[in-house]
Amino acid sequence: MKKVLVIDDEPIVRLSSKRTLAPEGYDVTLADSGREGIEILERETFDVILLDLKMPDMSGIDVLKVIMEKWPGTKVIIVTGYSTVDTAVESLRLGAYNHIEKPFTPNSLLAAVKEVFDKKD
Amino acid sequence: MNSIFANPEKSIAAKLIIATGLLIVVFSFLFWYATLKKQEQDIMSIAVKYGDSFVNFAKESTHNSMLSLDKTQTQRILENLSTPEGVQRVKIFDHKGNVEFSSDQEEVGNEVDINSMSCRGCHTDPVTGTLSPSPKKWSKYKDKKGSTSLKIVSQIYNDVSCSSASCHVHPEEQKILGFVETDLSLALLDEALFKQGLALTAYVIIFVIAVSLFLGIINYKIVTNPVHKLSDGMKQVAGGDLDHPVQIDSIDEIGVLASTFNSMIKDLKAAAGQKARWTQTLEEEVAKKTEEIKRTQTGLIQTEKLASLGRMAAGVAHEINNPLTGVVTFAHLMRQRCKPGSDDAEDLDVIIEQAERCAKIIKNLLTFARATPSEKGKIHINNVITKTMTLVKNQEKFHNVKFHMDLADANLVTDGDGTQFQQICLNMFLNAADAMNLRGDITVKTHQVEEKDKPFVETIFTDTGSGIKEEDLPKLFEPFFTTKPVDKGTGLGLSITHGIVKHLGGSIRVKSTLGQGTSFFVRLPLIKQEI
Ligand SMILES: Nc1ncnc2c1ncn2[C@@H]1O[C@H](COP(=O)(O)OP(=O)(O)O)[C@@H](O)[C@H]1O
Ligand SMILES: [Mg+2]
Repeated sequence: MKKVLVIDDEPIVRLSSKRTLAPEGYDVTLADSGREGIEILERETFDVILLDLKMPDMSGIDVLKVIMEKWPGTKVIIVTGYSTVDTAVESLRLGAYNHIEKPFTPNSLLAAVKEVFDKKD
Repeated sequence: MNSIFANPEKSIAAKLIIATGLLIVVFSFLFWYATLKKQEQDIMSIAVKYGDSFVNFAKESTHNSMLSLDKTQTQRILENLSTPEGVQRVKIFDHKGNVEFSSDQEEVGNEVDINSMSCRGCHTDPVTGTLSPSPKKWSKYKDKKGSTSLKIVSQIYNDVSCSSASCHVHPEEQKILGFVETDLSLALLDEALFKQGLALTAYVIIFVIAVSLFLGIINYKIVTNPVHKLSDGMKQVAGGDLDHPVQIDSIDEIGVLASTFNSMIKDLKAAAGQKARWTQTLEEEVAKKTEEIKRTQTGLIQTEKLASLGRMAAGVAHEINNPLTGVVTFAHLMRQRCKPGSDDAEDLDVIIEQAERCAKIIKNLLTFARATPSEKGKIHINNVITKTMTLVKNQEKFHNVKFHMDLADANLVTDGDGTQFQQICLNMFLNAADAMNLRGDITVKTHQVEEKDKPFVETIFTDTGSGIKEEDLPKLFEPFFTTKPVDKGTGLGLSITHGIVKHLGGSIRVKSTLGQGTSFFVRLPLIKQEI
């Protein structure tokens, strides 16, 4: 089973991701904050993590730093509303695998996720 | 004129008058005195001359009676001689001083006082008979009545007729036989002299008064009055009145002083005028600067307004992205479940399309709001323009647009992110194409300009489009200002451009003629130029 973790404070984004990915055979787990995401990661491992950059208590960049420190090699796709070159470069430098812009279409999301597994195989 | 003597030490005129007056009085007095003395002398010498004649006449008259030794006759002649008015006495005395004859009979037989002028006139010592080197034969004295009298003494020489006379009284060796002495009253002359002196005194006094008066008037006319006028004029000038020159027409020193003073007033007035003009210019300059500051301030406020609007828009845009993700996702999911070509599918396509439009608007908004340039670097103005032009030329929208490049020979470089300047060019090209209904000419010119002594690179985008209405000009750079149909314009292009230009430390201006076209002037600080 291909396991995907979605970390986003916006319920509609979590729901959209789940409804896009689940029918395609992904096991989707949802976390509504960076903290919860890390807690889940302590127990399970995931193939792909979708990470929102702009969240209230712990920013996506901070979460990314923790993930990369604790579980290096994890495939993290940054999902952001403002994909400036700055933040994109910063997150890629920190070890993010890819990034997609909000609002995303089901196709673009699927393509990004699928790419991870395609590369893997 | 009285006032000038109140404080003589304070008045030139008073000093002058007093000095000249004193001089006149002293000289007049000397003149008066000298004239009086001279008159007296002249009269005396005439009197002496007449006196001498009289004495000679007396000698002559008595000569015969003396020769004939007729004493009575001689005495009678002397008495006769003293009868005319003025002849007081006539006497004859011998060398020893014995009075032999006299018109005054009582005197006969008396001795002449040895110390009187009668002896001492010729002898310094009458006893030894020593002769004086400058014998004096007459003298002046006051008689008992107080009037001047003249005494004349004359020798009777032993001439041939005497020594050879039959009487043989006098030996031939005796040179001087005796003396005739006469006393003549000069009372009449005294009176004449007194009258003349009186007249002279009166003349001198009148002269002194007249000359003093004349001098005073002259002084007043040529010194006091003009000096007063001058000092009044100076007081006026000191009080700030520059419109009243001093009226002195003379050409003397005071006149020269006055005309110098007048020309000084003129200069002062000119200077005052100049000062007033300067003040005026200064005021105008201040007004201009104030206006400039106001405009800059308005510009700043405008920029500030745009910036805060941008920040707000960014916040809103970011929040909208999330629900929009939901809309897009679920529309797509529903669309997949619908039969292709069904009404539902078509409706969902509309939803998806509009949602994507929203996404585009938001993306623009976020670009606009992005405050800091993503990358610091160098913008090679000409390169970016050419690149952007080639990029858009191939797009359908620009198929009927002709580009003209009028780029500076030098490679003009400014600080910043190349993609930002590219965005500016893109906005300019898109707007131009829209304004020309996709058909026309776009000219891009670059050159170096100076603004407040600083070099700038100016890029001018000119199109042959519709132009911009006067009333739209102030709103042009505001976010969301658009004249285009809802699905075509977002009204963000120029505000983004404005934001970028400001951020790069430049300025943007627009010049437009309705129906003919528009030019945008983008100025960015020039940091270097490479040939
Ligand atoms: N080159 C031009 N010629 C005429 N009008 C222009 C030009 N550029 C801009 N404008 C006017 O300025 C408005 C705002 O432009 P812009 O901010 O780019 O927004 P948009 O292009 O989305 O309308 C345009 O709608 C148009 O009316
Ligand atoms: Mg535009």
